[in-house]
Amino acid sequence: MSRSIKKGPYVHPSVMKKIDAMNAAGDKKVIKTWSRSSTILPNFVGHTVAVHDGRKHVPVYITEDMVGHKLGEFAPTRTYKGHSGSERSTSLR
Amino acid sequence: MNDNMIVIGKIIAPQGVRGEVRVMPLTDFPERFRELKSAQLDDGTNLPIESVRYHQQFVLLKFRDMNDRNAIEHLRGKLIQIEHKDLVPLPTGHYYIFDIVGLEVFTEEDEYLGKVTDVLETGSNDVYIVEQKDKKPLLIPALKTVVLKINIPDGKMIVKLQEVWESDAD
Repeated sequence: MSRSIKKGPYVHPSVMKKIDAMNAAGDKKVIKTWSRSSTILPNFVGHTVAVHDGRKHVPVYITEDMVGHKLGEFAPTRTYKGHSGSERSTSLR
Repeated sequence: MNDNMIVIGKIIAPQGVRGEVRVMPLTDFPERFRELKSAQLDDGTNLPIESVRYHQQFVLLKFRDMNDRNAIEHLRGKLIQIEHKDLVPLPTGHYYIFDIVGLEVFTEEDEYLGKVTDVLETGSNDVYIVEQKDKKPLLIPALKTVVLKINIPDGKMIVKLQEVWESDAD
């Protein structure tokens, strides 16, 4: 069953507090969080949140198209060690 | 494996009874299989390709003179490779992961942080895992504001570490 609309999206109060404080001050710091179930809200956009994957905090930069998803979706808990030396690329965002 | 060879796919299993193999592409350019005349395997054999088609996330290859399932059963698990010179050229600002792994990471103040050991794909930005001197991993987001310079010929990456919110644990 989906979450009641009346309650609004769930965000851990500590994450919300830090984001609000940074937005008010115009700051950009990395927020460490264990709250993988927090929903990404529009005021998170442009911030970097280090989401715990069970072992370490994975720094995730929040963009507009991530709004509505949960933080945990962007910090995979299982690491697939692919083949070294394959034709895979990476780029800077 | 030869250092000069780059893996582009892995033969998972035979597909059907007419001698096709199911290949999992290990490349960002799965369409490149259409241009292959032959498949160079990791055991050194070179098999001429007769046909290429795509099915779901797999590439189905048919090798010449291999017309039944038994003829290709021994290919299970083999890697398909290309030579380094045949890599698809990347646009500016894009780098091959094997080029990034092994780079030495420095701060703007020329302080040595460690060596890139892996690249993590998160669905948002990629994350470079740097092994520090004390063997602890340092995770660096692949953002233009953080990674200031990547110099592959010199094996060097310059980063500007972001400030972390230090406060109570949540």
